[in-house]
Amino acid sequence: MLHLARVRLLRQSLLLLRSELRQELRDLELVLTSTFFTLVVLGMFYLSFAALEKKHTLPAVPGLLWLTVAFVGTITLTRAFDREREADTLRALLAAPVERLAIYVAKAGSTLLVLLVCCALLVPGLASMFPAGQVFWDMPLETAALVVLGCLGYVAIGTLFAAGLAGGGGKNMLLAVILYPVTTPVLMFALVTTRALLDKNPNLPSYLGQMAALDVILLGVGALLFEPVLVGAAPARSAQAARQHRREALRAAGRQEPR
Amino acid sequence: MSGAREPITPIVLRSISQRFGRKVVLRGVDLELRARSITGLVGANGAGKTTLFLILAGLLQPDGGERRYGERVVGDIDLELRARLAYVAHAPQLYPGLGARANLELFAELRRAAGLSSRPADDVLRGLGLPADALDRPVSTFSRGMAQRVALARAVAGDPELLLLDEPFTALDARGRSQLAGALLAERDRGAAILLSSHDQGTLLRVCDRLVLLEAGAIVREVERGGDDPAGFAARASEVLAAVGPDDHAAA
Repeated sequence: MLHLARVRLLRQSLLLLRSELRQELRDLELVLTSTFFTLVVLGMFYLSFAALEKKHTLPAVPGLLWLTVAFVGTITLTRAFDREREADTLRALLAAPVERLAIYVAKAGSTLLVLLVCCALLVPGLASMFPAGQVFWDMPLETAALVVLGCLGYVAIGTLFAAGLAGGGGKNMLLAVILYPVTTPVLMFALVTTRALLDKNPNLPSYLGQMAALDVILLGVGALLFEPVLVGAAPARSAQAARQHRREALRAAGRQEPR
Repeated sequence: MSGAREPITPIVLRSISQRFGRKVVLRGVDLELRARSITGLVGANGAGKTTLFLILAGLLQPDGGERRYGERVVGDIDLELRARLAYVAHAPQLYPGLGARANLELFAELRRAAGLSSRPADDVLRGLGLPADALDRPVSTFSRGMAQRVALARAVAGDPELLLLDEPFTALDARGRSQLAGALLAERDRGAAILLSSHDQGTLLRVCDRLVLLEAGAIVREVERGGDDPAGFAARASEVLAAVGPDDHAAA
């Protein structure tokens, strides 16, 4: 039974993710907005900080990286649910025989892909512009792990709140207000780990492990709260109602309630 | 998901209540929806009709009361129940960038992934009067009436046992309303329990087996079509409809 539910979740998640990506590839709305924003920010960083010496840019690069991810993430998450908000399709999915977790997985997955596309521009850009960023070239696997883990944590919690606002008819403005405080822990963690990477800190695997652990927690929170956030939690049945239900179930089965 | 299943009808709501902040939207609603029956839910705007639909479709948890689907008293409308009901809101809830066929096929694929069957998209869409050349056009280019037909097609494609239709006649022309009325009667004859809300009083009188009047969140009157006295039903139903206000389509 559990195996069937998992297979269903996986298949429905993939179907929804494919649909998301197809729609995105058709109009490129999210990718174009986010990559354009990333390029503009990179250009501004270059004009502002390129003349600084390495020792001054070393502490700045992690901030530039994750500040950009935070802004791009807000843009992406805000627009990611625009389709649902405008056409109210989220309700159609919620009323359909679809694992509600699959909706979360697909939305988080598509948002993560957009963020990773932006990071594919951002990280090489920072590495090329600033001598301190050379480490990104020197340690590509660690850099990739850092970016994926940081973006995953951001998306895990951000998708939950973006969906909550989209489902409840909330305003985009409100998302930005909520998103920054709730994503601060993961951004701070990513910032510290990036600094460890740039310093070639021997404890980097430990930092990355802690980021992975945080991601697991955030994904768990997102998965657990996604459905209650969108449709509300079932009220706990009172003891009297539970007894009544049991009596009726036994009656339907043609049995007497034991005294 | 497959195999012999208990029917989910009758659907019985007992003492359902809902409030949003200080505003009480539903006050102890009792309602029964039976198989092979179309129940018309009428009431003025703001009476609580849409909230009742959302609660029946599992899109809103009621603050109080009990929902029973067949033998089951449910807290959550789980996936197994959602597989057997369909909800059409007054907005079509379609992906605007996808075509009519693609919209239906997405939901059919999602059903198949859950081990459920679905009627072929083309058959259902053509059955509801969508022209063949419109099947692959993006829904964003459709008129409201055409989009509404696609939403209805998506709802009936899974042969639901409970069909929840919140103002489905909105934006449909006379021919569309007639086609939809025919489709509803066919769904009823197939065995579905249907809850229908509309301001199109003529169609309600034509298709409904029962009319329920919701006023300020409470059901204040019910009339049922009896086998022996069709004229009596029409007269009593007209009284109920008169309490709601003038017919949206009276001039159509």
